Amino acid sequence: MHTRSLLARLTFSRAHLLSVLAVFALLAPFSGLTYAQKHLSKRYPAGKRVRVELKNISGTIIVESWNRDEVKVSATMESPTANFSPRLVDDGLVIDVMGDNRGRGDVGDVNFKIQVPVNSSVDLETKRGDIRVANIRGGLVRAHVSSEGDIELTGISASQVFAQNTIGNIFFDGEFSRGGTYQFQSTKGDISIRIPSDSAFRLVAAAPTKRIELGQFWNSNFKTVGEGQKYGKFVGDVGDGRSSVMVTNFQGSITFIRR
Amino acid sequence: MKCEKCEELVGELLDGTLSGEDTSTLNMHLEQCLDCSDVRNDLQSIVSFCQTQRGQYSAPPNEKALWLRIRNIIESESQALVGSVGQTRPRSKSLWADWMSRSWELSIPQLAASVAAIVLIASLATTVGLRRWEGSVGSVSSSSASPAPGVTGAKHRDRMWRQQQSISYWNQRVETNKARWNQEMRDTFDRNLQVIDQAVTDSLNELNQHPEDEVSEEMLNAALNEKLALLREFSDL
Repeated sequence: MHTRSLLARLTFSRAHLLSVLAVFALLAPFSGLTYAQKHLSKRYPAGKRVRVELKNISGTIIVESWNRDEVKVSATMESPTANFSPRLVDDGLVIDVMGDNRGRGDVGDVNFKIQVPVNSSVDLETKRGDIRVANIRGGLVRAHVSSEGDIELTGISASQVFAQNTIGNIFFDGEFSRGGTYQFQSTKGDISIRIPSDSAFRLVAAAPTKRIELGQFWNSNFKTVGEGQKYGKFVGDVGDGRSSVMVTNFQGSITFIRR
Repeated sequence: MKCEKCEELVGELLDGTLSGEDTSTLNMHLEQCLDCSDVRNDLQSIVSFCQTQRGQYSAPPNEKALWLRIRNIIESESQALVGSVGQTRPRSKSLWADWMSRSWELSIPQLAASVAAIVLIASLATTVGLRRWEGSVGSVSSSSASPAPGVTGAKHRDRMWRQQQSISYWNQRVETNKARWNQEMRDTFDRNLQVIDQAVTDSLNELNQHPEDEVSEEMLNAALNEKLALLREFSDL
């Protein structure tokens, strides 16, 4: 009796194994799509004012704040050869995709989603790809795209903000801190800056003529500099001008929007 | 009698040429005035010394050196006087003549070093001159090769030349590494370089039309820096 039931179980297991193998055989042609991408997710302890530095090659970077004193790095790597090792340093976390993959050839896109404490500073670089930063109130927000990629900075209240790309739009929605420095530069793309109506800053804005729109922030104290026809430059104070804002665009527009 | 009058007459008194009346008056004063009496005594002792020595004085030590110093002082004062009058031409002429007439004695290593130094200086000057000339007529954009004929300011040319040198260097590095990139990255780079070159050309044309326009100058500078940054950042891929 015992031996018979054992054989029955063995027979069942063999049938089950065969069916599982059949399922694998059916899914085999599609398995390449799922296997090519590599995922990584890791958490790092951090203080309330951490600094996160990321040097990427290609791919989207998303940074947003969360209500924890730790940094969570989630990455999707297009190529299985891509690799990186975040390093904990004194004041934060350094991720150097560029350095960690030197000599490995083409590593494809590496897409990041990083969650940080709200008072963090973020310094982000990529050769290509979009950068989106949301709800950061630390000392520094820097987003640098060497070539093409949109930059979107929303809910930002940092004393230093730098956003620069070659092709792509730049959108800033945040506040200018008293004494802060803000620089936005694009070669071919539109730059939009959405700030509270009571913002106070000193503005230097240079762009093709008739493509600078200060909207409600324009006042008679603004000076128009330049004798040429191609480019125009506005220099002037809004309010007490306690923060410094510099915007440069070679082929696109500059628009200030009241929030 | 006053002391001043006494000092005037004391010489005559010692010579014995003073009148009798004046002699008695003077002697009365000398008996009463101690200072004038001292003057009379000093003068008396000098006259007595001269009378006893009769012109035979002991020579100063190293008399030749003393006369040489005196002569030098006189000559230097006279030369200074001539110089202050403004006669500089004969002096420079004499310097040139002195330079030309000077004989040079050089050893073979010294001679070889001098020749090498002259050759080095000449070649450096030639190289710098050629580079400056090439920079002034060269292109601003390495890929578009657009010249800068209207930009006349030496300051612009000099800065653009320096930027052009940097751009050429980084461009070579990019070209070396470009083969390793995937096609998508190559297309991205070329597309972005083209956009920046367009910005360089636009600002350069604007600056040619309005050479004094500081905004166009700033934009040109910023565009060239942007190009430099793009090349540098892609060179390490």
